[in-house]
Amino acid sequence: MKRRDFLVSTIAASAALWIGFGPSALQAQEPVSGGTLVWGHSETTQNLDMHQTGTASTSRVLQNIHDSIVTINSDMEVVPQLAESFEISDDGLTYTFHLRDGVMFHDGSTMTAEDVVYSFERLRDPETGAVNFEVFNDVEAIEAPDDMTVVIRMSRPNAPFLARVAENGAGVIIPAGSGDIQGETPIGAGAFEFVRREFGNEVELARFDDYWDGPAYLDGILAREITEPTVRLTGLRTGELHFINDIPAERVAEVEADPDLQVVTWAPLNFDFVNFNHDVELFQDPRVRQAFDLIIDKELLMQGALWGQGTTTPTPSFPNDASRNGDLVQRAQDIEQARALLAEAGYPPGTLNVVFKVTTNYPYHVESAQIIAEWARQAGVNMTIEQLTWADWLSQVWVDRDFEMTMMNFFTIWEPDRLYYSLYHTTGGFNYRNISDPLIDELAEAARGEVDPDARTEIYQQIQQHIFDEALDVLLWYRNGSIAAQPSVGGLDTVVHPNGSNLNFHRVWLQS
Amino acid sequence: MRKFLSTKALIGLGLVLTVVAVAVLAPFFIPPERATQMVMTARLQPPSFDFLLGTDQLGRDLFARVMLGAQTSLTIAVLAVGMSIVLGLPLGIISGYYGGRVDNVLMRLIDALLSFPILLLALTISAVLGPNLQNTIIAIGVAFTPFLARIVRGEALRIVQMPYVEAARSAGTRDLQMIVRHILPNVMPALIVQATISLAFAVLAEAALSFLGLGTQPPQASWGLMIQASRQFLDLAPWTALVPGCALAITILGLNLLGDVLRDVLDPRAR
Amino acid sequence: MVYLVNRLLLVVLTLFVISIVTFGITNILPGDVAMMIMGTQSNPEALEGLRQSLGLNDPLIVQYGRWIGGLLSGQWGESLLFNEPIAPLISQKMLASGLIVVMTMAIALLLAIPLGVWAARHRDRWQDTTSSTAALLGLSVPDFFIGIMLILLFAAYLGWLPSSGFVDPTEDFFGAVRHAFLPSLALALGLMAHLTRMTRSAMIGILNQEFIRVARAKGLPERTVVWHYALPNAIGPVMTVAGLQIGFLFGSIIVIESLFSYTGMGWLTYQALLNRDIPLIQSTVFVIAAVVMLVNLAVDLLYRVIDPRIRLG
Repeated sequence: MKRRDFLVSTIAASAALWIGFGPSALQAQEPVSGGTLVWGHSETTQNLDMHQTGTASTSRVLQNIHDSIVTINSDMEVVPQLAESFEISDDGLTYTFHLRDGVMFHDGSTMTAEDVVYSFERLRDPETGAVNFEVFNDVEAIEAPDDMTVVIRMSRPNAPFLARVAENGAGVIIPAGSGDIQGETPIGAGAFEFVRREFGNEVELARFDDYWDGPAYLDGILAREITEPTVRLTGLRTGELHFINDIPAERVAEVEADPDLQVVTWAPLNFDFVNFNHDVELFQDPRVRQAFDLIIDKELLMQGALWGQGTTTPTPSFPNDASRNGDLVQRAQDIEQARALLAEAGYPPGTLNVVFKVTTNYPYHVESAQIIAEWARQAGVNMTIEQLTWADWLSQVWVDRDFEMTMMNFFTIWEPDRLYYSLYHTTGGFNYRNISDPLIDELAEAARGEVDPDARTEIYQQIQQHIFDEALDVLLWYRNGSIAAQPSVGGLDTVVHPNGSNLNFHRVWLQS
Repeated sequence: MRKFLSTKALIGLGLVLTVVAVAVLAPFFIPPERATQMVMTARLQPPSFDFLLGTDQLGRDLFARVMLGAQTSLTIAVLAVGMSIVLGLPLGIISGYYGGRVDNVLMRLIDALLSFPILLLALTISAVLGPNLQNTIIAIGVAFTPFLARIVRGEALRIVQMPYVEAARSAGTRDLQMIVRHILPNVMPALIVQATISLAFAVLAEAALSFLGLGTQPPQASWGLMIQASRQFLDLAPWTALVPGCALAITILGLNLLGDVLRDVLDPRAR
Repeated sequence: MVYLVNRLLLVVLTLFVISIVTFGITNILPGDVAMMIMGTQSNPEALEGLRQSLGLNDPLIVQYGRWIGGLLSGQWGESLLFNEPIAPLISQKMLASGLIVVMTMAIALLLAIPLGVWAARHRDRWQDTTSSTAALLGLSVPDFFIGIMLILLFAAYLGWLPSSGFVDPTEDFFGAVRHAFLPSLALALGLMAHLTRMTRSAMIGILNQEFIRVARAKGLPERTVVWHYALPNAIGPVMTVAGLQIGFLFGSIIVIESLFSYTGMGWLTYQALLNRDIPLIQSTVFVIAAVVMLVNLAVDLLYRVIDPRIRLG
């Protein structure tokens, strides 16, 4: 208990991501240009259209090809990127972006307001099927008064709008008219240009010499898609690869101790939680949900499934988000009390059968489910596990909401509106658990219209308290991210993006 | 060769009986909870006195899991092969006995189905139905059916042309009677041989499906599932792969030996 | 000639049935590709828009017609998930798997023929028993387990060969062979059993024949008799069995390629299945079934008399 509190407070106190470095002699040296970095990427890239692709894995590669109109810095503040500056009118209804001069796209054209308008219009066109479609819901018009200015007018104030644009590709600018080819040959204004992709095997990127923020050091990146974790690690050890992401959890300690490799770990990469389907009668009783919360020893589960590569958390808020409720403490495991609560709710031991659906896309979810099922058995609950492929999970759980219990992770959503509105509001886009709680709905709506930051913080903390009290979900942990590299790779400290998910290779270099 | 044959028969029978005995008896001696109980302080432990065959990544006793896994494997294999017989036997007999247009249509369909590799067909069916115990049986059973139907049909076709069958037919025996009295008993030897060999292949198919995540579901003990989980820890704990792998090999070897012997005894043409 | 025409008509008919079965199965698959593209970021409006633009809302018969028409006219469409044309994708992966198939066959024959000949020459003695036992073991140990053991031995422990990945043989032939070696070996050890048995029984039959006795009587060395006179006559049935193993091989390749992360046809099929990439599943499954059928046909035409021993697929 003590240790857990300590970890949480360390994270909450630090301004940025909690990042740990292994020893490296290179960091002190002067960077040099040249060389192609061979990256063992943990996942297969899919649709390369930045507007349409929803997976973090594909975005991780694409973020090197694209730049965004605004982005976030390590203090989680929205800062200009392809815009030089921006203004928000006092009534919160007009956003004015002044574009950066001389930004070149990979196709040789120069960025103008026309490209920005095109990108935003394409994103909010339902025909595009863009994942960030709803960010522009309150947008009334997008205008270009001159070549270097873009004005967005809103129909009503939307406090989180700018942060949502900065997040996850919604603000990415592509050349006007390039929409149709983005899926196969993405073009952007980022530090690297797309060369080719050999489907399921590798993606090749090359330095873009006319990059507005100065050319990258690397000649190029070869992202080899190696989904098998141990194979990735072997590749790094044998020298086939310069760099890998996602070290298998059970090997992190061993790799960190290896003097021949550099390691960076950070928290959080994502958070995980156990979900109940609130449309199932059983789970409408808070006592039942609390009982399942009490069944789980979160710290032990984290040790079991993640080999210690994570930090338990009672709330999904980003660790350094001001609105994170620091007063919450996870329920400790108490099988006896869980039995009692279940009996009180009308389910004495041996009478309750529950199906737990997990996706094999996250093997540690399958491990977690097995551990939880064992605890459930001790509490007199017969829990059956169904392993689903990613496609089946999306279809059955996410879309059809046909499940009793499940488990999911989300790449840490640092923007509280996206987090609490999307995940917990009755109409939220990510509310696959059928949660419908009048208090949450009211609070989430209030926060959206609230322009005073302190008042918003207050509301979000209240939401977190309520989620916890009612055990709407069982929050488990933040999972650590990790990358490892050969000693010859420099600039490793610049790779991890403040959002904890993206990897940026602009300032990375290879020792000749 | 006779000596070798009897050695083969002894070994095959011995192996199969051992595995069957384990499958039937293990649940009486090892409580099923033993297979799911986890000891977090004893993960990936090599074989020792506490854990005869070591532990897996969640600290579960591999001895208990591999023993209880025999039941999973055999149950699925037997039921799947049983299902393919229930489906394939009538198809094959009808096709072979009646011949002509019926045979033509059925055989075209079966030929087309035989072009799909059995494992691919089973995988696809399992993906369609969703993976669980019952669907694994269905997937393997259905995938085996065309194969079995063709064997039966070939036998039926051969038997129909036998003089005594012709004689019985001219004596006015009715179709159903003919099938029950003459065709069915004579198809049996080939069917038994085929069923035994199919059992070996069904054990393998279950393991392969589970290995790909489309078969038996955790935490149930299944050999294929255990091998799948061991992949990530191969160099740390090779026994997590070796234990279920050897169990699989022993079972399949036993069934293959038995199938061979049965073929030699029951089906003299195939020597 | 009539036989050939009939046979070809039959091929067309079988291909048609295969296409119906393929399309039928894939359309019962739950889930759709629009969801896969969007992942957990999807919302109903965007999903519907994407479905519309992908043509997933059309009636089944229209989708089948579009598919079969596309197949015939060479327009195989695009993999929805990967946004790439399917035809080049499949031909590229077929090349990768082709290398595995060829190497598997080569390794299996190189092991099985000498073993079978050896057993036949020493029929009913310990050599025969050893050979039969080896063949049975190869048949009984699951190929993916053999694969795991090979990874453990050659990649993790000895470090001689790469444990995973695919290298394009047109770019680096030696690298391609190195990467394809372990998967091929794993497959070959399983395949070997039937081939060894076939070689043995064919050789036994031939060694008993008159012309062999004559050759022996003429005083030719036994080695010449066996390898120059007998074996060429036994090779036919052995090759027939090898050809008929193609179907079995394409089943095993799914497991083995995904074990070795070897991005060939089996890997592609498995990915398509996992990702519900319906057009890709349809094409890969259809192509595999068609290839298996055509190889079997070729074998059949070459060897119209099929020994009853080789029915096991």
